[in-house]
Amino acid sequence: MTFLHPVALVGLVAAAIPALLHLLERRVPPEAEFPPLRYLSEAERQSARRLKLRHLLLLILRTAVIVLIVLAAARPLFPTQASGGSLHEPTALAVILDNSASSGLVVDGRPVLDRLKAVARGSLARAAASDRLWLVLADGVARAGTPDALVATVDSAGVSARRLDLTAAVRAAARLVDAEPLPAREVHVVSDLQRTALGPGRAGVPRGVRVLALAPPSQAPANRGVGAVRITDAAATVGIVGTPVEGGGAASVTLRIRGREVGHALVAPGSTATITLPPLGAGWWVGEAVLDADELRADDRRLLVWRVAPPARVAAPSSTGGGPFVAAALAVLEEGKRVRPGNEIAIGDRPEAGTLVSIVIPPAGPALIGQANRALAARGGRLRFASEGTPGPIAGPALPAIAGLQVARRYRIEPVAGGGGPGMRSDSSVLATVNGEPWLVRDGSILLLGSRLDTAWTALPAAPAFVPFVDALVNRLARGEAPVTEVEGSPGVEFRTRGADTIGAIVSGLDPRESDLTPASPALVHDVLGADVLDEAAFVAARFAGAGRRDGSGLLLMVALLIALAELGVATRTR
Amino acid sequence: MADVQRIDLLDPAEVARLGGIEIVAQGVVEGFLSGIHRSPFRGFSVEFTEHRAYQPGDELRYLDWKILARADRLFVKQFEQETNLRAMILVDASRSMAWRGAPNRLTKRAYADRLAAALALILLRQRDATGLITFDEAVREVVPARVKAGQWARLVRGLMDTPDGRGTAAQSALVRLTSLLARRGLVVLVSDLLFERELALTALRYLRHRGHQVIVLHLMDPAEAELSGPPEVRYRDPESAASVVVRPRELAQVYQATVRREVDAWRTACRRHGIAYHHILTDMPFGMALRLLA
Repeated sequence: MTFLHPVALVGLVAAAIPALLHLLERRVPPEAEFPPLRYLSEAERQSARRLKLRHLLLLILRTAVIVLIVLAAARPLFPTQASGGSLHEPTALAVILDNSASSGLVVDGRPVLDRLKAVARGSLARAAASDRLWLVLADGVARAGTPDALVATVDSAGVSARRLDLTAAVRAAARLVDAEPLPAREVHVVSDLQRTALGPGRAGVPRGVRVLALAPPSQAPANRGVGAVRITDAAATVGIVGTPVEGGGAASVTLRIRGREVGHALVAPGSTATITLPPLGAGWWVGEAVLDADELRADDRRLLVWRVAPPARVAAPSSTGGGPFVAAALAVLEEGKRVRPGNEIAIGDRPEAGTLVSIVIPPAGPALIGQANRALAARGGRLRFASEGTPGPIAGPALPAIAGLQVARRYRIEPVAGGGGPGMRSDSSVLATVNGEPWLVRDGSILLLGSRLDTAWTALPAAPAFVPFVDALVNRLARGEAPVTEVEGSPGVEFRTRGADTIGAIVSGLDPRESDLTPASPALVHDVLGADVLDEAAFVAARFAGAGRRDGSGLLLMVALLIALAELGVATRTR
Repeated sequence: MADVQRIDLLDPAEVARLGGIEIVAQGVVEGFLSGIHRSPFRGFSVEFTEHRAYQPGDELRYLDWKILARADRLFVKQFEQETNLRAMILVDASRSMAWRGAPNRLTKRAYADRLAAALALILLRQRDATGLITFDEAVREVVPARVKAGQWARLVRGLMDTPDGRGTAAQSALVRLTSLLARRGLVVLVSDLLFERELALTALRYLRHRGHQVIVLHLMDPAEAELSGPPEVRYRDPESAASVVVRPRELAQVYQATVRREVDAWRTACRRHGIAYHHILTDMPFGMALRLLA
């Protein structure tokens, strides 16, 4: 039992009033002569026990009346198992409505999201003015608001293209409600509880926070979706993801380029298919891999973007001081028809005249640094090699394949004096860093590397990623091209441009994990989220501290009235 | 309606305002006798003499039912006094008798004095020797039983000369009375009986054993029969230092039952020993009280 106005319980001290009055009443009574005192004494002796009991009973009844009235004023809330319990103790509640892409699944002709929204709406609608509410959708943002406002948000919520990490969402929501100084704190997880929606680690729910999770359907619905799509040379590799179902047959995947079907393949969930691309001219191409429609439509299509370009023409490194490792890598690339001999791009310790792009690496000896810097300045370069920097790992989003590889020696790359200050200029782009300092920088038609591509300087030449790095260096970075970036979101493509040139693209699509609709087991949910997994009826009954609360003040007042009548009866019956 | 105006049927307190004991007693007796037309007292002092024909107005209790059954004629039995009755009226003058429950009522003592005076007047008028003894802890006044002229005045003076007593040790006074009542006769005890019942009964039984006809008039103020008063009060016994704090409203029912039980105990005990017992409240008209003795 809890109280809406616990301060009123201070009035319980008034329960001492009957006893105090009884004591205060003990004044000296008036005296009178009464001859038949022997009769009086006899009568008193006979009724002494009865009178004591009566006085005690009256004291108890009067005290009980006061106690009940004070308790009624404090508005006690009694737990009730009936779902119609209209009141509950003030609660900090965060409702996590998982409207991620998987909630668009249609089951029995009805989207899963509709069921989830109904449950979430029920939780919010039962909230009282004394509650503190948040609503978390698939975007992970906790929205505070009134019950009406949040119900309206739930009503307007549609299937999102984003994946919700339930572990992170519960962790954040639990901390949010735990910070509220309210008697009850709850997190309602209204989700299809995909196993893949559970992120790494555990939610770490603070003590005192109840987490209730709506149980998913017991049977995992079959589903297939297009996973990752990669363009390699003249073929597209399409991965199929989805719910592992025993005996599930292969799915038909179609590859379309600019709306035209260019290939088909049958592929089972969990495997990949390679579809040969037709000869394509140079330029940026947009295609899509499409599966036959199933109950979850959002993952049946995925866009892909790639660029078709002729091999870079690279000057022989032996003539420019690029070193043996660069020469070997270029030989491999030439054999693979990724580069051709030419004078379009040069790799060496100074900019080469007559080339479109110079990839400049530091000279082998420190004494030659000044000469290299002068050559850079003569070429219009606004960057220079400075003092030697500290060793460290390579970092850079543009080159994920080489991230983490160790650099033993390097020169700092700094702007030349009067060239715009200590930082990089706006048209300079840092492609990789070591210890937070620029290590690979593009500046106009010059790319500067802080280390020589030699194992004495860096572990990069000995790494498997070296050849792809050189490939990216000459075919993509030297041309100022950014990598195609994949982001989570509604299927779409956004090209990045510099001036009139298209230098990259951002492809948005669903997180492939959304396609696996296998629900997490209750034990796993309890372990990771600290949540009790309940079916819909149990969920409704358990929310808000496990039961509805009813205001018991009316009942208490009724009992107080009955006791007052009983007191009146006892007091008058013996008079 | 005429009876309502009779002085013996008026409220005792109102009657008392008419004058002294003599006037009141005479008025009461006049009214009383005009109501019953003849002496109410009979006993071994009257003997059957003859029959006479029934006349309207005769009391039906004197009808000879045997003659009526045999001859179908109405005859009444007639009696004549064989000897004069020796009556001794014992009046309790203890402190408790000086109490009244309300200002507009007579004290038990005042009521007892007037009742005794009226009773004595009746007895004397029918030529019975009547005496008086007043007592509290001790015997205070003794007026020997006589029938000569002026006896009633002496009795009244004896009543008036007896002050209110201090306590009640009735049994010792009663024991002494037994020695004063050598010749058997009628003994009328007027008292509130607020003393040990068994000890008092011992003395009364002794009188009864000696051949006396004993009548006990138990006086009680109405306020003694039904408890009332302030919410809480300390009641003190006027004859002792005893006191008790009570809430009259709480005890009223039990007290009333206790009094009723006490009266019943006196009545039962007296009946068992051949003693006439009458419970009289001090708001009862004197005529009604005298009628109880008839």
